Amino acid sequence: MKRVGRAPALAAAVLIAAASAAAEPWHEGVMSRHVDQDALSGTLDKAALEALRERGEELFVGHFTPADGVGRPFATQAIVPTKRKRPPENAFFRSAGLDANACAGCHNLPATGGAGDFVTNVFVSEGFESADFDSLDPQFSNERGTNHLFGAGLIELLAREMTVDLQRMRREALAKARRQGSAVTARLASKGVDFGVIVAEPDGMLDLSAVAGVDHDLVIRPFSQKGVMTSLRQFTVNALNHHHGMQASERFGPRWTGERDHDGDGVEDEVSEGDVSALVAWQAGLKPPVERTPDGPEWQAAARKGSAVFDALGCNECHRRALPLQSLSFADPGPLDMAGTLRGSELAEPAVYDLALLDWARGLPRNGKGAVLVPLFGDLKRHTIADQEVAALGNELLAQRFVERNVFMTAELWGAGSTAPYGHRNDLSTLDEVIRAHGGEGRAARDRYVEAAEEERGALIAFLRTLVIGP
Amino acid sequence: MEKPAPLRAPLCPAGHLPHTGGDCAGRLFRQLLCNAGDWRNHSRQPISPLVGEMPGRAEGGAKGRHLLIALSLLTATPAAAGPLNDIPAMHEEALAAGIEHAYRGPWEYFVGGGAASFDCNGDRLPDLFLAGGKDPARLYVNESTAGGPLRFAARDTGLSQRTLEKVLGAYPLDIDNDGHLDLALLRLGENVLLKGGPECTFRQANALFAFDGGNAWTTAFSASWEEGNAFPTLAFGNYVDRSAPGSPWGTCHDNALYRPEAGEGRPRYAERRPLSPGYCALSMLFTDWNRSGTPDLRITNDRHYYRGGEEQLWHIEPGRAPRLFSRSEGWRHLTIWGMGIAEGDLNSDGYPEYALTSMGDTKLQMLDEEAEEDRPIYTDIAYDRGATAHRPYIGEDLKPSTGWHAEFADFNNDGLLDLFIAKGNVEQMPDFAAVDPDNLLLGQWDGRFAEAGAEAGIGLPTKGRGAIVDDFNMDGMLDLLVVNREENVSLFRNLGARAIPGEAGTGFPSGTAAKQMAEAGPMPMGNFVAVELAQKGPNANAVGALIAVKYGTRTANRTVQVGGGHASGHSGFVHAGVGTAERAEIRVKWPDGEWSPPYRVFANNFVRIERGAAEARYWYPAE
Repeated sequence: MKRVGRAPALAAAVLIAAASAAAEPWHEGVMSRHVDQDALSGTLDKAALEALRERGEELFVGHFTPADGVGRPFATQAIVPTKRKRPPENAFFRSAGLDANACAGCHNLPATGGAGDFVTNVFVSEGFESADFDSLDPQFSNERGTNHLFGAGLIELLAREMTVDLQRMRREALAKARRQGSAVTARLASKGVDFGVIVAEPDGMLDLSAVAGVDHDLVIRPFSQKGVMTSLRQFTVNALNHHHGMQASERFGPRWTGERDHDGDGVEDEVSEGDVSALVAWQAGLKPPVERTPDGPEWQAAARKGSAVFDALGCNECHRRALPLQSLSFADPGPLDMAGTLRGSELAEPAVYDLALLDWARGLPRNGKGAVLVPLFGDLKRHTIADQEVAALGNELLAQRFVERNVFMTAELWGAGSTAPYGHRNDLSTLDEVIRAHGGEGRAARDRYVEAAEEERGALIAFLRTLVIGP
Repeated sequence: MEKPAPLRAPLCPAGHLPHTGGDCAGRLFRQLLCNAGDWRNHSRQPISPLVGEMPGRAEGGAKGRHLLIALSLLTATPAAAGPLNDIPAMHEEALAAGIEHAYRGPWEYFVGGGAASFDCNGDRLPDLFLAGGKDPARLYVNESTAGGPLRFAARDTGLSQRTLEKVLGAYPLDIDNDGHLDLALLRLGENVLLKGGPECTFRQANALFAFDGGNAWTTAFSASWEEGNAFPTLAFGNYVDRSAPGSPWGTCHDNALYRPEAGEGRPRYAERRPLSPGYCALSMLFTDWNRSGTPDLRITNDRHYYRGGEEQLWHIEPGRAPRLFSRSEGWRHLTIWGMGIAEGDLNSDGYPEYALTSMGDTKLQMLDEEAEEDRPIYTDIAYDRGATAHRPYIGEDLKPSTGWHAEFADFNNDGLLDLFIAKGNVEQMPDFAAVDPDNLLLGQWDGRFAEAGAEAGIGLPTKGRGAIVDDFNMDGMLDLLVVNREENVSLFRNLGARAIPGEAGTGFPSGTAAKQMAEAGPMPMGNFVAVELAQKGPNANAVGALIAVKYGTRTANRTVQVGGGHASGHSGFVHAGVGTAERAEIRVKWPDGEWSPPYRVFANNFVRIERGAAEARYWYPAE
């Protein structure tokens, strides 16, 4: 059931929820009012979507305080709710968190929702029970730069469609193998990106040893440097806990922990489902980066040449210029999240954010079939990015969520011109450095770059610097 | 003191003659409880937290028990709260699924009533073999599709009527290591080993395996591959020796242990070694209680018929004669109307806890602080954990319950073990609840259990006996089959979490969404993994292996076993809920004690772990 035509009511609902519990104007806090998830179902019209996004932006930039429930003295930063044996000595702690006061504390270059400088690096670990082990030592955590979120809604939509493709291929291969009584080999590919091969046995067993660049459950997880997070919603719930100690009820509430104040900071029900939805809507609706026309004919010419060099060197083998997207309807919750992140089937009707309603959507290029061409300069696939000789990007000691230390999701290059520094640790100051750091599956293109004439290398940089996050 | 019943065949066996003086539910007991008003609004006390723990007289403690009852009521603790987690919606659909089968018969069939679930046709879906009592047992082949309604079709086994009649229970295992699951049939009279073949074919294999099925009234079974043996050691638990003078009182039959001799590619069970004394066993389980690597044999016994008996734990050491754990070794005297054994590692410490069903309160045993590696000292934590399940949770009947099959499993996939107990009056025992619904005790985050049988939909007025907890439609949510006495089996499909309106901010649907959800139907629960083990050579299904499913800082331990419950067994995928975890790391301690490397597995998948393989293999059911 679509809820077209309910926009004024929905918009009002969001606002009313805000107004009804509004605190004094000088209140030191962000969460004194919650978004009502019940008011969010069906396709929101533009007014409702904008109202929701407005609240999402408030939450994104707001500095959380103890009144909101900031802090998690008795819970770790782990994604799976995990109790801490004793409170950490300091509530704020650069490694295990809390390490930020607001989402925008890190995501702010060149604008709110953007990337971050080296100083905003975060430390990823699976969350120990004892703060003593939550150290900066790379033995216990991986240090990562802050990614930008512009165009994130389109990225997630691409990942969903690709997942549907891959899982359909799996289903078809299994059905065919059962039907014909012999093994079936099927190539996995979606939107022109190859993910290897599966072999389905007649008894339902699946050989996944030749699958490449995607998890064995064939879910494209497009977020984080490593490509291990499924959705904006999942990442938001993770990050709220990790960085701020703000625990979303959909994972840290009684259903999964038996407690309303799982982190033991004295505040119950810190983040509602509706609050998370507002944050998701705001992030999903962030306009995608663009390829700007540079100032002056010299740069323009260099960029044109650099664009050709980009292809000639083979950068586009992984950094695909664009992937086609069939639909701009962003269901929230999405179809791929698992328990602990709100699922669509847990609601009477999920909300749908029609990204086509947003002004920037009009400028999206489309192909002849009407599909949006999302200019991400990526393939939403993981690759080995370090080798024995060129190992700078293989500097982590820990695998993360089953992904080996040298393997990362292809960085989407849209916005690269606005988001220095580079590399998953944000420790490479220039595009030239990060290109030279490519090893592993990126080694051949990197070597061609290194061997190219200086003019060509410069042209490539000129081109990449036109990929910016617009004002 | 009780008096012998005038009839040779008592009206209520299995524990079960009401004793003069009110051995289990006397006047004082009823008075105490009946004066309590609406029990649902009061503390739910165990009938007798210390029943059976009185040294000496097992049956003569009526007065003492009444005092204990009074004391226990005086020392009441607050009532257990309702479940805080998902309540699975269990939809009964036996007839719709194509199963029409009841467990029937006179006195000898007041006990038993088991089932076996196992894959007999190679599609990995659990098929069902159902005991019928005086009527023939039947085989039902699973024709369900992934996530769909349950579908079974009766299949002719080709076995003789004589073999299929008088069956009280069944356990699946691959006795001869041929890759096909066999069945051990517990019978009134000669026990039968059925050799499984392709496409759900079976043949009687007593002669082939040199197995003398005896002529006892067999009510319990367990099996274990002892170190160095290619074939399993079989233990049969027997009930009353009907031919003994004075039967049924004090005439419990010996139990029996069969150790294999290697034959030509098949076992020979020529030697029957009695496990004496027998105390009317109703469930037995080879269990590695101390994680020594050598399982011992735990037996729960029905105090109603034995004299001077108790619960038992046998040393079963390879190459040595079985011997009972003694008082000097720490084994404590406990007398209950033992009906079923369930094993589960509630606190993930590697040492299992045990639920023992009985009449009245269920026992929940955990190793005591005084326990040591060779001293099996257990303490009862059922009362503290809210797991006594001692009387019906719905209806007006305040009389004690009668518990049978027990099984720990995670029905809602939240990562916490739940406890299912089949309940049902023996037949027409007036001092016990006539309407006695099965229990679904959901594990809570504080370690307690909360009753959810009614809300889940399993609180039916049937007389449950054996049961199977298994995922019949391979959707990752555990379904439930209960064998009922004199009524059709109950087959519950787990549809997912009931959408019960919750408070805003609790993670449950609330407000309008909840109301709409309630109309729309159940919603998904937590994540799960299901694991199938395989190793080359003997014991291909790795009976005795420990599966440790680690996610975050939690570990769910599961053991592959043959035995326990009440006359009912399962073979196939081992299920573990993992709550909100998207991934799990699985290690296997194979039966010979060797640990596997960790296997990384994505949640909500079925995987097969083959010993020595570098990775777990994913399996997908037909859609």
